[in-house]
Amino acid sequence: MQNPTERKLFGFNLPPKVVWTKRTKADLRTGLLFLSPWLIGFFAFTLYPMLVSLYYSFTIYHSKRAPEWVWFQNYTELFADDKFYLSLQNTLYMVVIAVPLGLFASFLCALLLNLKVRGQAFYRVVYFLPSIVPTVAGTILFLWLLNPQVGLVNSLLARIGIEGPNWMADPNWSKPALILLGMWGMGGTIIIYLSGLQDVPQSLIEAAELDGANWFQRLWHITIPMVSPITLFNLITGMIGMFQYFAQAYVVGGGGNLGRPLGSTLFYSVYLYQNAFLFLKMGYASAMAWILFIIILILTLLLLKVSDRFTYYAG
Amino acid sequence: MKKLYGLFCILIAASMLLTACGAKSSEEKVLRVWIQWGDNPQQIQALFDKYTAESGVKVEVTAPIDDDKILPALTGSNPPDVLVLSGGDLAKSFYKEGLVDELSSAIETGNIDMADMFEAPLSQCRQGDLIVCLPWGTDAYALFWNKDLFEAAGLDPEKPPATMEELAEYAEKLTVVGADGTLEQVGFIPDHSWSHTDLYVRNFGGFWYSDDGSALTVNSQAMIDAMTWQQQFYTKYGVENLQAFTSGFGEYSSPDAAFYAGKVAMMVEGEWQVGPNFIPALKPELNYGVAAFPPPAAHPERAGTIVNQGTAVVIPSGAADKEASAKLLAWMMSPAVVAEEFCFNANLPTSKKAAEDPCFAALGEKFQVFVDLMASPNAYAVLTTPLSFELNDALYSAEEAILYQGADPKETLDAVQAEFEPKFKEAMGQ
Repeated sequence: MQNPTERKLFGFNLPPKVVWTKRTKADLRTGLLFLSPWLIGFFAFTLYPMLVSLYYSFTIYHSKRAPEWVWFQNYTELFADDKFYLSLQNTLYMVVIAVPLGLFASFLCALLLNLKVRGQAFYRVVYFLPSIVPTVAGTILFLWLLNPQVGLVNSLLARIGIEGPNWMADPNWSKPALILLGMWGMGGTIIIYLSGLQDVPQSLIEAAELDGANWFQRLWHITIPMVSPITLFNLITGMIGMFQYFAQAYVVGGGGNLGRPLGSTLFYSVYLYQNAFLFLKMGYASAMAWILFIIILILTLLLLKVSDRFTYYAG
Repeated sequence: MKKLYGLFCILIAASMLLTACGAKSSEEKVLRVWIQWGDNPQQIQALFDKYTAESGVKVEVTAPIDDDKILPALTGSNPPDVLVLSGGDLAKSFYKEGLVDELSSAIETGNIDMADMFEAPLSQCRQGDLIVCLPWGTDAYALFWNKDLFEAAGLDPEKPPATMEELAEYAEKLTVVGADGTLEQVGFIPDHSWSHTDLYVRNFGGFWYSDDGSALTVNSQAMIDAMTWQQQFYTKYGVENLQAFTSGFGEYSSPDAAFYAGKVAMMVEGEWQVGPNFIPALKPELNYGVAAFPPPAAHPERAGTIVNQGTAVVIPSGAADKEASAKLLAWMMSPAVVAEEFCFNANLPTSKKAAEDPCFAALGEKFQVFVDLMASPNAYAVLTTPLSFELNDALYSAEEAILYQGADPKETLDAVQAEFEPKFKEAMGQ
C-alpha cells in the first residue's frame, strides 16, 4: 500500500509537504541568500537566454531589426532539411556506439586500476593524464596518429599485416576515429568508476568468496550491481555530452569545412553552430537547440525510469 | 540577518558604481580597428600608429579577432570603428542584416579615389549599385610548376601547359606509380591544398552566380565542365589511392609541403607562396615557375584568367563616430598604406597606384606575374551574396561528392540549384 505522505509526479518521488513556520521561512531566506550567486547566474545566463531562444525559434531573427514572428516555419523547414537528419543521424551514431563502448572500456580500466599491484598509483596517473590534455591539442595529436601515411596507428597495423584505413579522409572511418579519440580521454569516467569500485563493501565479496563464488560470479552478482548507480550517472552524463559533441568535430573540420569528409562529422551541434554563426540563421538555430533539448530531456527521463530495473542503491 | 542583506546590497551597489566610474575615466578618443586575419599584430599596430602620428587620433588594433566575437560586437552597442573581414561574403551577410553601412557617404567624406581601385576585387563589394565594403588587399591564384620534375618527365621545363587539356596530359606524364601500385608522385591534384573551382569555372566561361549576381547558376554548363574536368584526375588515379597519397603530405607551411617536396609537380597556389615567408624561406632551392592558369583549348581568349578573393573593410552601422571611421578608412585605402601593408605580407594591392610601388617589384619576377594579372581583362573576383556562406558550404559538399564519390556532376549540381533557388530569391529579396 502506498504511504499517504509519499507524493509522486509521473512516477517520480516528490519531497514531503512543507509546513511553513517562521523558522522555515527564515531558513529559506538564508538559504536563498547563500544560493544567490548561483541563482542570479542561473536566471541571467541560463534561464533567460533559454526562454529568449524559445521565442526566437518561432521567428526569423534579424540582428538589428525586430524579429519576424513566423509561428512554426523554422520547425517545418527543419523537418524537411536533409542536413538536419544527417546531423541527427551522425550524433545518434556517436550516442549509441561511443557511449556504451566508453562505459564498458572505462569500467574495465577501472577494474584493472583497482587491483592491488605494485606501482598502481603510477598506472592511475597514466590513465588519467590524457583527460587533462586540452581537447584541441588532443584532437590534433590524434589527427597525426591517424595519418594514413606517416601516422603511428597505421604503421603498427601494417606490421601485423593490416592495411589501415584512410581514417579522417574516409567517411566510413571518420566517426570511429573520433570514438577512438574519445576513448583515449576517458580518464574522468574511470576515476568515477574507481571511486565506486572502492565503495563496494569488502564484506560482501568475502562472504561470496566463502560461499565458493568465482571471480566472474563476484563481479556479475556483487560488483556490477553495486556500481550500477555510477553506471547510470556516467551513462546520462555521457549521453548528454555526446549529444552536444562539438569541439573535436570543429577542429577536424578546420573551421572552414565543417562536417568533412562528406558530411560524416556534421554533428548536431556543429550544424547548429553553422546555422547560427555562419549562415546567421539564429531563429533556425534556436529551433534546433530546442529540439535537441527536448530529445535529451525525453531520453534522460526514459533512462531514469528504466534505470529502476537495473540500478541498485545500497541502503 | 537584515544586516547581512544590507551589506550584500551595499556591495552590489558599490561594485556597479566602480564599474561605471571606470568606464567614464578614459575620455581620450581611441578608434578601434578589428582585423579578422593577421599573424603579425605588432606590425599591423605599428602601421596604424603612423595614422596616430599624422592625425593625432589613437588607433587600437585587434588582430586577429576571433570569429565569434564579431557578430555580438556588431549587434551590441559598442562595435569597432572599422572592421576588416577576410572576404566579401560576410560583408554582404552583415549588410543584409543592417550591421554594416553602405559606404557612399564614407567614400565621399574620405574623398576615396575609386578609380584607383582594381575593378575585380572591388566587384566583391558591389551589391547592385551599392558598395558595402572596400577591398584592402587581395589574393589571386596561378599555376606553379616544378621545373626539375618537368625535365625528369621529358617536358620542356620553361614551358608550362598552354591549355587545360594540355595540363591534364602533362599531369599524366608527371605521375609516377610505384611497383606496388601506390602513387609516388602526382602531376596535378585539382583541389590541392583546397578547392579552386572558382578559377576553373571562370576558365570555362561562367560562375555559380550570373555576372551581375542576380541569378543562381550552380548547374550551368561552365560549372558542370569545371567539375567534370576536376573529376578526371580522381578517376584516373583512384580516389582511395589519391587520398592515401595526399594524407601523407607535410604541413602546408613547412619544407615538407607536397609541392616543395616534389610529390606534386603542378599546383594552383596564391601569390604569397613566392613572398619571403613561403618558398624563399622554406625551400629556397626549389626550381619552379609561375604562370597564369591556362584556359581551355577552345577559348584562348580566356588566357590570363584570375579570380581575386581578399579582405573587405566595413564600417559597422553602430560605429560611434562615422566621420572618424570614414577618415581612417580613407587613410587605409591610400596607395602608400596599401603598398606598405601588402608588400610586407606579400599579398596583392587593390590600388593601381600602390601596384606601381617599387616594393612589389622588389618581391621578384614571380610576384610580378601576379601583379600583372591584376590588370588582366580576365580578372574576376569570387562573387558574393548574402547567401554565400550557406551556398559555399553546399558547393563544397557537392565537390566532395563529385571528386571523392564519383557522383555525376550534372545531377549533383542540379540538386544544389534546386535546393538553393528559393533560398537565393528570398535572400536577394526577389
